[in-house]
This record gives sequence, structure tokens and C-alpha cells, in this order.
Amino acid sequence: MATWSGRRKALTILLFIAPTLIAIFMFSVYPIIFNAYISFTNRNLYHPNPDCTETLTSIFEPTCWPMFRERAPTGMSTPFTIRDPAYQNYVDILGKLFTKDALFALLLIVACALPLIAARYLNRLFGRQLSRPVPSWLVWFVGLIGALVLGWLIGFPQALDTLMKTGDFFVVTFRTVLYVAICIPLFFVTGLLLALVLNSPHLRGRTFFRVIMIVPWAASTVAIMMSLVWQFFFREQGTLNQVLSIFGIKGPAWLNSPTWAFAIIVLVNVWYTYPFFMTVILGALQSIPPEQYEAAEVDGATWWTKLLHITLPLLRPAVLPAVVLSSITTFQMFGTVWAITQGRPSRGAGVPGATELVMVYGYKQVFQTNAYGRMGAYAVIIFVLLFFATLYSLRMTRITKGAYE
Amino acid sequence: MDRRPNLGVKILQYGILIIAALVALYPVWFALLASGREAGRLYSFNLLSTFIPTEWTWENYRVMLFDKPFLDWMRNSLFVAGFTTVGCLVIATSAAFAFSRFRFRGRQTALILLLAIQAFPGVLSIVPQAQILGAIGLYANHWGLIIAYTSFTLVFCTWNLKGYFDTIPIDLEEAALIDGAGPVQSFFLIALPLARPALAVTALFAFMTAWGEFALASVLIPAPDTRKTLMVGMYQLANEVNIPWGYFAAGAVMVIIPVLLVFLYLQRYLESGLTLGGVKG
Repeated sequence: MATWSGRRKALTILLFIAPTLIAIFMFSVYPIIFNAYISFTNRNLYHPNPDCTETLTSIFEPTCWPMFRERAPTGMSTPFTIRDPAYQNYVDILGKLFTKDALFALLLIVACALPLIAARYLNRLFGRQLSRPVPSWLVWFVGLIGALVLGWLIGFPQALDTLMKTGDFFVVTFRTVLYVAICIPLFFVTGLLLALVLNSPHLRGRTFFRVIMIVPWAASTVAIMMSLVWQFFFREQGTLNQVLSIFGIKGPAWLNSPTWAFAIIVLVNVWYTYPFFMTVILGALQSIPPEQYEAAEVDGATWWTKLLHITLPLLRPAVLPAVVLSSITTFQMFGTVWAITQGRPSRGAGVPGATELVMVYGYKQVFQTNAYGRMGAYAVIIFVLLFFATLYSLRMTRITKGAYE
Repeated sequence: MDRRPNLGVKILQYGILIIAALVALYPVWFALLASGREAGRLYSFNLLSTFIPTEWTWENYRVMLFDKPFLDWMRNSLFVAGFTTVGCLVIATSAAFAFSRFRFRGRQTALILLLAIQAFPGVLSIVPQAQILGAIGLYANHWGLIIAYTSFTLVFCTWNLKGYFDTIPIDLEEAALIDGAGPVQSFFLIALPLARPALAVTALFAFMTAWGEFALASVLIPAPDTRKTLMVGMYQLANEVNIPWGYFAAGAVMVIIPVLLVFLYLQRYLESGLTLGGVKG
């Protein structure tokens, strides 16, 4: 489109993208800025209202803007002010993580991962050679054993315990990362298994089964409601225990046990997400040329070696973006957990419950304790973590390839 | 190499498929069964009735439709989700076209930043959003919810549509340019009609996001009962004490069945339109 340029071009482009940019700035970017300002104040249940005479507040607080002034909330309580020092909310959240003991424990935990990093490096090195001296699974296995032994030697559990005592932030974040780390492989394995079966030749009723497998995906769009159905299933007086009682087994109160409750929110999330993975993998499987398998069969490859050396490597480009996207959504999981456990079972007063993931914790803190200032700081920290994780994974998987050219 | 698999493999395959199908269907089936049971009978239990319908009553449906504000919730949700879809498509399509067709400084940065902004924890931006909407007088108002949802779904809509515009050959538009059409005409007359499948999938996504959202709706529309959206209303119903669970199940069935039908109808688009369009650049 070289026929037009200069000011007219700029004006046309602006006309096309201005509505989106304005909407996103007002309702996505501005809340982030506003939230960042609130994170430096002591806004909470006792200081909820703005003081519009203060310069910074009158800039950031929308109800202080002249055209909205009459809607500014007022009350008997003293208005919120900037904390002293301004970053005190961040200190409250992260402070104990930056003591000598905690940092040392963090270092120890990172050190435990060294054998795995070494295994990855070795595998890359071997991968470039014509004849591999050792198979890759052996390298990984040795790496894993090394990590476990190292963890045992330097006292991994004690280090973790030290970190857990640094406050809610580490507990909640660690638990959420654990949740993601458990969910994602399960998504992949379930999706892969079903996609492999559905992709096998001479299978009758393939379309029928594919249509049925879409049901959880459809249900996941109304996740909060479907999760309430699941919750009913697992209640103490719920269906599962009623079925068990027929066989003379007295089922536990599933949702009151930390481990079971955690397992149940994993299970329900897997139920929602595997159709997505199945669809992605099935699409990728169908684009693998059959000649590759035929050539491998001539060389005497078994089903397992074909899976390991042809299918899995060729699935990588299609599956990686799905993994990144669902990692982010799983990390931000709210509705499902809220409907099933609301973060319970409780582990004591003032301590996050056994299934309080990052978002559930944030929601509870904001709406049950009204700690706006502190939760603003919490949101900023989570945002920074996720922002860089997103940028990194976008680069790594090149989801946005084509946007860069 | 077209060997037929042997019997053992076949049994294994069908075994896996049948178990998976049962697991996929059972929760929905379970809700359907519970919705037809008499309200007080839920805990008086027999094994058979957890798997096949042994009795059926329309009582729960009657209560939900006529005694509870279920239809109000349904109407509110349809209203909010419908206008979110319209707003999202109207705003995002032109931006997606610009990002796909024009080359300008800051284009890559803008595209990446759009995605990265999504990393802000949605649940935690509820309070600032509620305050902005409060300032412009749209708190506790469906239009406020529509605005919040629209800005929330814009990023995905823009990206998905841009991905689709990228796959449409530019030749037609160039031909139109030679014939004297400006970029605005070529957008409305050529690119937009060609992008119809992607518009359908994007609309479905925007609608479903607004339809199933809970956290924001529960804060922005706190009262009264009849103004609430479906998810908030149903959540509240399920957590009330002394409410027979059959009522909730009847409501759940009435929400899920239409969603299922839409998904089954659009299944072939889901595979090409949603997953790849949303994932590939």
C-alpha cells in the first residue's frame, strides 16, 4: 500500500486503532496505574476515602477529578495517606523474604535444581553428536537422582520450611506454582492419550467420541456453575460418599482434607482443560506426514520409539503455545477454586487456607479484610512476576512470530 | 503400511474412549438427573438413581422459572453478554485490520504490550475498575459491566482477528486500491466480508467470556437480586442454606444445554478458528 503516506496515513491508522487503544487505556492500563498508586497508601477499612486536597490523590483518584467531584465518597473516617516510608506495603509483603536466613534457604532450593540444569545441558551437548554416548532418559534419570540426593544432603525440607515462615506471599505463590506444575503435565498426558487413540486408523465412531469430549470444554465457559455441580459431588453428604456407603465404606469429608481438596481442584481443572489439549494435539498429529512413521518402521522402530522420536518432537511447536497459555490461565485460576472450596480447608486464623491460590487469596484479602493498599502492592508484585514470565515465554515459544517481522 | 490393529489393541482403545466419554458426560448427566428429582428426595438415596433416571418431576424447573428470579438473571446475562460481543467486535475489528495491514512505528511493541497487560491479575483490578465506573456513575449498572467486559475481551478479539486477517491474501485489497478505493473502503467492502468465520468465533468467545464471568459481576452489581447476572445468581443460590439443591440443578441444566448446543454446532470452527487463530500470530 504505497499509494498513500505521510499525514493521511498516520491519520487513517489512528482512526483504525484509536477506539481499541482508548478503551484499553481507560479500563486496563489506567486501573494498573491507579492500583500502583494505591499500593503506596494505607487505604483500608479504616481509611477508605480519598483526600482530594492532596495533589497526588487528586490526580490519580477518579472521583477527585473536577467533573466527577460530586461523587467523591466522604465519611467520618480519616482519609488515606501515603505510607511512611512509601514502600511500607511492599515491605509488609516481601520483607521477611529478604532476611539472611530466607535468602540462604532460597539459594539452597535453587541449588537443588542444579543437577537437572546440568542434565539439560549435557543432553543438548550430546544431541549435537552423531552417536550419543548415553541415552537421554538416562541423563535425565541421573540428573533427577542427583537433585534428590542433593536435596536430601542440604536439607530441602528445612529450607522450604524456613521460607514458608516468611509470610503469606511465599506460601500462596509456592502453592500456585505447585498447582500449575501438577496440572499442566496432566493436561498434556490426558490430551495426548486421547488424541493418539482418536488418531489411530480403522477407528469407528471417531466423530462421535470427539463430539462427546468437547462437552467439558463447553462446560468450562460456565466454570463457576459447573464447579458447583462438582462440589456437590464431593460434599461430605455428596454423591460420592453415598455411593461409597453402599459398599460399606465411610468416605472422608473430601473437601475438609487439605490434600484431597487440592487434588479435587486439580481434577476439576484437568476435566475442563483436556479437550483443549486434545484438540490442539489432534490437529498437530494429523499434520505429521505418515512417511516418517513408515521409514521408522522399515528401520524396525517399535510403537514406543516412534512416539518418543517422531511424534513428541513434532508436536512441540503446536503444544508449547498451548502450554504457555494454559499455564498463565491456571496461575490466575479463580472461579473454579472459589466455587469448590473458597480457599478452604482453613489452616488456622490469619493463615491462607489449603487451596488458596494467588487469585483466591487476593480476592479474599480485598473483599473480606478490605486491605486495599496492601493488596495493591500484592497485585503489583504478581503483575511484575507474570509480566516477565509472559514476555519470556512469548519469546521462547515465538507465539507472536509474524508480529515481529 | 495399513495393517489392521489386533484385537487386544482395539479393546484397549475402545476401553479408553468409553471411560473418557463417561467421565466427560457424567457431571452434566448428574446435574440433569438431580434436576428431575423431587426437591426433598435428594438425600434419600438409591444407587440406581445416581446413574439412570428413576423418577422425573418438572417441579424444580417450575420453581426456577416462576418463583425464582432465574429469568431475570438470564435476561441480564443475555443483555450484558450481547452488548459486550457487539462492542468488542465493533472496536476490535478495525484495530485488528490496522495491525495486520499497515506497517507503522510502534506496531510490534503495541501488539506485545497488549498481551503483557493481560498479565495483570484480573481479580485484583476489580477495585480500581469499580472506582472508575463509580466516578462516571455506572457502578451497579449493566452498562458499567459491559464496558469492563469489553475492555477485558478486547485484547483477545484483536489478536484473534489480526491472526485471521493475516491469512487473507492482500491481493484483493491491492486490486481495490488500484481501482481507487481507500483503506477504509477496502476494509469495509473486502476484508470484513472475508473475515466472517473469524468474526463468528471471536463473537462466540466474547459472548462466552461475559456469560461465564463471576468475580467482576459479583462486585459491580451487588444488589438487588433481579439485577444480578446468571453466574452470580446461581452461585448465591447454591450457597443458600435450606435451598433444595434440585433447584440449582434445574437452573444449571437450563444454562448448560444451550451452551453445549452452541459448542457442538461450532465445533469445526473451534479447531481452526479459536485455537490456532488465538495462538498463532
